[in-house]
Amino acid sequence: MKCTMAIRVSVILSIMAFALPVLSAPLPLGLPPVPIPADNPQTPEKIALGKQLYEDKRFSSDGTVACANCHLPEKAFVDGLPVSEGVGQQKGTRNSPTVINAVYFKEQFWDGRRPSLEEQAKDPFINPVEHGLESHDPIVEIVQTDPDYVTQFEKVFGLKAADITIDHVVKAIASFERTIISGDSPFDRYQYGGDKTAMSEAAIRGLEVYLDKGRCQSCHTIGEQDALFTNNDYHNLGVGFAKIEPRMMEIVTAFRKAKATGENVDEKVLTDADVSELGRFAITLRPSDVGKFKTSGLRNIAVTAPYMHDGSLNTLEEVIDLYDRGGEANPMLDGGIRVLNLTDQEKSDLVEFLKHLTSPEYAHLANQK
Amino acid sequence: MGKLLLRGVLALAMVLVMVPAAMADEFTKEDLAKWERDFMAVVEEGDRLFHSALGSNAVSCDMCHPNATNTHPETYPKVQKQLGKVASLRDMVNWCIKNPLEGEGMELAADDPKMIALEAYMHYERRGVPLAPGKH
Amino acid sequence: MSTKVNRRIFLKQLGVAAAMTAVPLNLVEVAWGKEKGENFTFAYISDPHITHISGNKFVKNFDKGLEKAIAEVNFMWPQPDFVVFGGDLAQLGKKEELDHGMEMMSKLTVPVKYVIGEHDYYLDLGQYWEEKISKLYYSFDHKGVHFVVLNSILTDDDWTHKRWPTAMERMLQMARLDNPNGSPFMVKEKQRQWLKQDLAKVDKNTPVVVMSHSPLYKVYKGWNFWTEDAEEVQALLKPFKKVTVLHGHVHQIMYNQIGNISFHAMMSTGWPWPYPVSYSQAANMVPKMTVFMNRADPFHERDATGWSAINLENGRVVNNLELWQNTPRSVRFDEKAKHPVDSQYQDPANQIPPQVHY
Repeated sequence: MKCTMAIRVSVILSIMAFALPVLSAPLPLGLPPVPIPADNPQTPEKIALGKQLYEDKRFSSDGTVACANCHLPEKAFVDGLPVSEGVGQQKGTRNSPTVINAVYFKEQFWDGRRPSLEEQAKDPFINPVEHGLESHDPIVEIVQTDPDYVTQFEKVFGLKAADITIDHVVKAIASFERTIISGDSPFDRYQYGGDKTAMSEAAIRGLEVYLDKGRCQSCHTIGEQDALFTNNDYHNLGVGFAKIEPRMMEIVTAFRKAKATGENVDEKVLTDADVSELGRFAITLRPSDVGKFKTSGLRNIAVTAPYMHDGSLNTLEEVIDLYDRGGEANPMLDGGIRVLNLTDQEKSDLVEFLKHLTSPEYAHLANQK
Repeated sequence: MGKLLLRGVLALAMVLVMVPAAMADEFTKEDLAKWERDFMAVVEEGDRLFHSALGSNAVSCDMCHPNATNTHPETYPKVQKQLGKVASLRDMVNWCIKNPLEGEGMELAADDPKMIALEAYMHYERRGVPLAPGKH
Repeated sequence: MSTKVNRRIFLKQLGVAAAMTAVPLNLVEVAWGKEKGENFTFAYISDPHITHISGNKFVKNFDKGLEKAIAEVNFMWPQPDFVVFGGDLAQLGKKEELDHGMEMMSKLTVPVKYVIGEHDYYLDLGQYWEEKISKLYYSFDHKGVHFVVLNSILTDDDWTHKRWPTAMERMLQMARLDNPNGSPFMVKEKQRQWLKQDLAKVDKNTPVVVMSHSPLYKVYKGWNFWTEDAEEVQALLKPFKKVTVLHGHVHQIMYNQIGNISFHAMMSTGWPWPYPVSYSQAANMVPKMTVFMNRADPFHERDATGWSAINLENGRVVNNLELWQNTPRSVRFDEKAKHPVDSQYQDPANQIPPQVHY
């Protein structure tokens, strides 16, 4: 049994050139165990199927858009654009977040509107500016009729073609995404691997700024045993808020009415630039959530520009300047965001530290810039 | 029967332990009273500091921690999320000076008499509470 | 879920489910139930403790708390009928603090009813407050409910007038919560007489809501979570069928029932206070029914702070606590239990992992 498992893993390894196996391989340094839901256990076949589904462009209204369009494996699972483009080059409102380590988030999307990778995977298919489908039916039709998929779904889920649903499709995709984890960065080797030479002196000073004067640690958490660089919470930094502030009440009231009458939130958020800026509020309707977005993880940050929910900042220097000046003023600004008075040296040390968060498998991307 | 014997042995052992103690350096009542006064003077100084602005913004420790409640010195060292490590009460005093009290650069050294006085006050207000290191 | 479910229906269902869990249900009811004429909503902001440092410098964190609460109340939909301010606008009663605080309060889009706190009072004994902000005690009627505002933070004449060399020294003494030289709060005879006369005109079936700064019952004297003549005030309220007291001062979730009177504490926008049970050296009388607030993140500036949206439903208060770093909570009078009950967490089995209160 163990032997079969090992063979399977090695087969998968050869299929997935870029993905790390999480079935039996040791965890990359610096990461906690991958949470696997009880109703969707990982199997090598399911992961392989998920990868194929992730890359299938037929699951879109014009046959051009797959998950991999905006979360490109070869670009550290982002698209490098300020906001993503879907069918017919239509632009959404949000910057494509990386899939790397997304499994560790408690909620998915910038505003946390879905609780799991499975639920997350359903939405883009039927968003008019992403895959552009009217419903999940065309996807189900393809997987029920494509002989290759039929064989694989039977093997993975023990299902007859007619019984395959969108839930099975997203389970496989989520299983694949649960293998996209990465640690082992120079920081991890320094912090958790006992290799005090793994980081440059500037980066070591940068870590000190990160933990102390920069106050980064308050939200982008580094733990005693591992580091996800996120507190899984939502914060208002004021980015993009100026656009809606003068018309805020109007936008909020209109959105509330729309939501109360069953408006499609996922569609609204990605197609209505004003509503997009409401952030977490669009999901909870709590006034305190206006303009809040999820704390991103920081692993591979140097190779996943541009930054912020709207991709409005192009460089790490710009991001650090934003925090240094205490965010963008607005009445809903998070209490912990305040002027930092970092020196130029501290800023450049901090950037240097952030560059040490790149995992080896993505390090070549840093050199391309 | 066995229990009785055991008790007898224990009693004997206690006598044996106490005898040499009585022969060692003795604390006189005067010593104890003086040290108590010395300690309470430091507690009082800690009380005063705890109720004064130690940072830059006129905020004092007691505003959030009346009678040093919620300082729970008995739970340290423990994990402090915002420091990313197992930290001491002193680390947290300095975190508070820097953050809510906005006293960047006004942190106290571990051996600063002010730090010791603050610790003395907090511990004194929590006297009698069992140690619970690491607890949140 | 069936694959045949059409996108629009699928998302519509999700949208409705999300709305149900996210909005305090009663707020939604009010939106479409106004024609009943009975139910209405008001907001409650309390204890911002605006603190003057020097010149035009104020403690930013406290400014931001009040500013945030005001912005959020302005976001309420439907808009509240009015806002109650629960006291302690200032930290040391200074004109600078009161002016700065009032400038922020002026951003509210609905009328405000003011309650005075000890931090607003003990510098000039309420003179500037009365001049610029509000009367110290008064009553008003709104949609069939009789509201009474009391100045509950008075104390002995001797302490007030004779003990301290300067007005600022008196203010500083009163501003320190854990003060061994403090003095317990009182409503005092004059206001109790006024209250008696005020209530004499009110029908005993009329719901009464009393708003004070200190709790009109006794919790812990050491921190002045206490009103010395509380029992006398409670006696005046006894003939009424539905009575609620809303108070600030304690900076924490606390509710109680004494006889016919329900009590609700309001959150502070400034900072939270520990429960008196956390003080291991003294006894306290924290109401047993109160499900304590959890400290979601004691190191977050907004932890255990917030404000309230209050629904008056058939004369009873439903306190919707808008907690900035914690899950929102709703505490309402339970007709069977005959006391306020947390609609989600009253049952210990439903409570968020219990937390030690040190």
